[in-house]
Amino acid sequence: MNWNKFFVAFIAAFVFLFVFGFLWYATLMHDTHREVPTLLRPEADLKSYFGWLALGHFVMAFFFTLLCARYVPSGRAGAGAMLGLLVGLVYAGPHLISFAVQPLTLKILCGWIAGAVIQFTVAGAIVGAIYKPPTGQIMYVKERLR
Amino acid sequence: MRRFIIAFIAAYIFLFVWGWLLNGILLKDVYAETPNLWRSQTEMASLFHWIIIGQALVVFSFVMIYASGFAGGGIIAGIRLGLLLEIAAIGMRLGFYAVQPIPGKLIVYGSIGAVIEMVIVGAMVGGIYKPASVRQP
Repeated sequence: MNWNKFFVAFIAAFVFLFVFGFLWYATLMHDTHREVPTLLRPEADLKSYFGWLALGHFVMAFFFTLLCARYVPSGRAGAGAMLGLLVGLVYAGPHLISFAVQPLTLKILCGWIAGAVIQFTVAGAIVGAIYKPPTGQIMYVKERLR
Repeated sequence: MRRFIIAFIAAYIFLFVWGWLLNGILLKDVYAETPNLWRSQTEMASLFHWIIIGQALVVFSFVMIYASGFAGGGIIAGIRLGLLLEIAAIGMRLGFYAVQPIPGKLIVYGSIGAVIEMVIVGAMVGGIYKPASVRQP
């Protein structure tokens, strides 16, 4: 593991995930979220829960970066973006399940899915571009689905 | 391709049964504490296909990630992938906790259940899916 580059990639991923989350979910989707007021905490309460939001992004960024670093074809923005896209789809699945069990609107569902896919694809590209594994640790898998 | 499909089907069946056991039985009373956050049983039944599609998307993407970057590592690599994905998802769950009035114990129990779920899914996919060949430079 190249820890120096890992740390830089982690910080970059954390900053991007946090800023994107703020712009997409809290700003662009603000009015859409408020269409279902029972679903969200009152605006006055949100400040006292900010620490959980920051901790959540920290954990998410750290383990996503670790996942990218462990991903075999890592070391390029394209490979990172592809991994990020698939990770975004893994996290889009629970949004579909949430739509079935929580009173979300279709607009909120579409916004969450698009947000997850864009957020992790770009984050994957950032991590892939920054993190380069030591060449001795790269394992090539000659892939052929069977 | 055959092993990909078998891994997908096996993991999907487990995820479906585990999801029902965890959310439908074990955590039923915890969900009942916050009825305003959830749809009625009738509504949920009419939207059940979204649960099936959502779970299929999770499993399909998981097997794709495993096949494209972790295959060859076997069960251990599958478990590692499941753990990394799920711990990152716990971060996402904390973000939801910050903005939605979800009870803290639902986050804790849900996260523990999801870690167990993804470890088993990873072990199943790692045990079933095998790449054509593995070489090291």
